Amino acid sequence: MVSSRKRGLAAIVAAAAMLTVAGCTAAPQGESSPEGGGTLRAAFAGGSTETLNYFQGPTALDYVRARLVHAPLCELDPGASDGVAYGVVESIDVSDDLSEYTLHVRDGVSFTDGAALTSADVLYSLRAPVLLEGLPFTMLVARNFDLDAATTPDASTVVLPTAAPIADGRELICQSMLAIQDGTTEFAPDTPSSGPFTIAAFEQGQSTLLERNPDYYGQAPSLEAIELVSIPDGTARVNALRQGQVDYISGITPAQAQTLDGADGLAVSTSEPPYVSYMPFTMNTATAPFDDPRVREAFKLAIDRQRIIDNVYYGLASLGNDLPALGFASYDASIPQREHDPDEARRLLEEAGAAGMSVELTAGPELPGMVETATLIVEDLQAVGVNATLRELPAGQLFADYPAWLALPFKVGYNPPALFEPNHTPGTFPEVDALVQTARSAATPEERLTASHEAQRLLWEEGYELAPVFVPNISAARDGVTGVRELQFPDLSQVVLTD
Amino acid sequence: MRTVSWIAVRVATCAATLTVLSFVVFWATEVLPGDAVGVVSGPDATDAEREAVRVALGLDRPPLERYGVWVAGLVRGDLGVSLVSGREVAVIVVARLGASLAVLVPAAVGIVILAGVLGTIAGMRAGGRLDRILSGVTLGLIGTPDFLIATVLLVVFAVWLPILPAVAIVPAGQSLWQHPELIALPALALALGGFGSTMRLLRASVAQTVATPFAEFARLNGIRGPAYVRTIVANAAPPAVHAFTVMIAGLLGGGIVVETLFNVPGLGYELTRAVENRDVPLVQGLALVLGAVVLTILLAGDIITRVLQQRTRRQEHS
Repeated sequence: MVSSRKRGLAAIVAAAAMLTVAGCTAAPQGESSPEGGGTLRAAFAGGSTETLNYFQGPTALDYVRARLVHAPLCELDPGASDGVAYGVVESIDVSDDLSEYTLHVRDGVSFTDGAALTSADVLYSLRAPVLLEGLPFTMLVARNFDLDAATTPDASTVVLPTAAPIADGRELICQSMLAIQDGTTEFAPDTPSSGPFTIAAFEQGQSTLLERNPDYYGQAPSLEAIELVSIPDGTARVNALRQGQVDYISGITPAQAQTLDGADGLAVSTSEPPYVSYMPFTMNTATAPFDDPRVREAFKLAIDRQRIIDNVYYGLASLGNDLPALGFASYDASIPQREHDPDEARRLLEEAGAAGMSVELTAGPELPGMVETATLIVEDLQAVGVNATLRELPAGQLFADYPAWLALPFKVGYNPPALFEPNHTPGTFPEVDALVQTARSAATPEERLTASHEAQRLLWEEGYELAPVFVPNISAARDGVTGVRELQFPDLSQVVLTD
Repeated sequence: MRTVSWIAVRVATCAATLTVLSFVVFWATEVLPGDAVGVVSGPDATDAEREAVRVALGLDRPPLERYGVWVAGLVRGDLGVSLVSGREVAVIVVARLGASLAVLVPAAVGIVILAGVLGTIAGMRAGGRLDRILSGVTLGLIGTPDFLIATVLLVVFAVWLPILPAVAIVPAGQSLWQHPELIALPALALALGGFGSTMRLLRASVAQTVATPFAEFARLNGIRGPAYVRTIVANAAPPAVHAFTVMIAGLLGGGIVVETLFNVPGLGYELTRAVENRDVPLVQGLALVLGAVVLTILLAGDIITRVLQQRTRRQEHS
């Protein structure tokens, strides 16, 4: 079994290598396609927790691979008129009362076993996170729609009632949903799929070999194959790229990006808003003196944000304004940028009777630059007379005890790129909660946007989150790798290799 | 016959040690703040979802019951399932042990050769120029942290003289054993960092043996060359064998820095990740296998030492 697989793999590798050569030599002769072909070798953190079941996959690599193997229903596209780009679902209609969504399934999409993709498959894909006990982050649709009451009136239509009227259902459905076949419970390399690539070989924590799916319904990939390599350590990933062992690496630190930037034949790239992580430093309003809005304001004013961008991120981070969802359509860019004003911060602390207060900031290396940013924030707070200290936890510890994290007076966290309204945590400001409710369910787009902006303004004025920067995903590739889409996770399906 | 019963007692002691170890490891992970629920759920989960994850992982049951279930599974040869990835712990442990051994075995051979040859040469001419140079070099290597040795090797063999790959990338379906070029640098890093203490013990022991009356007697009897070296080393080896086994046992789980830098997914590296993730069954499985292998290596070292000593004693008597 193993040896036959090995032989099969050797044949595939040999074939891929030949195709690489053929791609380079045949192109000038003007054969069938002008594409480069070839095999892209891409390295991610991965690790032994890697799994093909992306509902339970905790690492970025799991979703990157799943996105290449299973076609998305649709994807977020902040520039498009619906806010989404359609995939195997070709359009989504919303009822006037915002209580029912109708999904139209694209014709002519088939799985690798030859079966056509129908509405039953799409509905199963939406229910799968619940049925297969997916991780909480896959539950976005299940939280907002009544999936038990959903129906499939015909082979190309899914009718999806909402749990409560919402206007942002399209974005929720399109955030990370991939098409899988009705009844799929196990994910193996030969599980029928409908994406641009199929799995030729898979070894947890080691490597995956993907081959182009000739029957893919969408734009055919230029690449013949992709090898996804698991290299957990960032320095080792950088070394592998430098030595030419891989063509592309993802998830490196700003400092590593800085050293790679000048290197010959290599280029660094970053994701752009909205595909940047929100990194809020949360002040617990249940503990004094953070129950005083003046103290919260003082903390926000005390921070030199540009210094963080320059010194921690070497200019690669986006400036934050203490509000989430930068780059999404409903983000209120008209709210003035909060400036660095240590004098006003000192005055506000004085006024609130909190001058010389002591506070401990808890941070851990869960996102590139998180601890370094926390260090600068502590320095800035000390500069306005706050007796601030930093408590640095080892990797993996920050969220390990979630209730304890919640109870901390001052701590950092992060959220992957996501819309503001559906991810708002209610409970602290009733007025904001009501506005967010309106922003999600009012009848007209104008009303919804106005409510959302009002909620954001209130949060900007009184909120408990200090968010100086948004953190991008930083990648690097050798010259000749083009077409990587740095979305929520890197999408490699349209990569073109040239030499 | 006495040796056999001695070995039986030692094996029984090892089994008892492992039992205690499993209990200690379980409670050590239990008292760490937090659990796998926080790690698996991520920052955006609701309380209800967290509770569902807790029930799904079985972490809502009392610790003693979970330990009991784990021990019952162990008796059946079932190490359980990883809380984070849902994979069988036994499969992960076997793969990691394979990767660790793929690097450790060549490193051990390297240590034996380096320590054996250099330790004997230095000990035979104790106090000579070569002895002093070797002493300086090994003391330097013992004092050099792993990451520095690994980085220097990377700079030399992957940057200046790019003949070896910097990172171990093994294609799916193959194992590290099939790629000697990927093993070379990490094994060399472990060997360079590890041979010093064994070599110095052998040197001291050889120097001591050379000064004994029986060595002088051998020399006066005209025993020269390889035969003389063999006599001396056989008598001097026991303490060095001991140091060697302790060193190898330590490297099996302790080569974390080298494993991380060269991307060798070994036992030590996996264990640190499992602790970070609060993946108790995986921590348990890794710790148990690590403990078992380490105790086996130490036992083997003790047996070799004992056999060598008995032979020496017999020689001295005759």
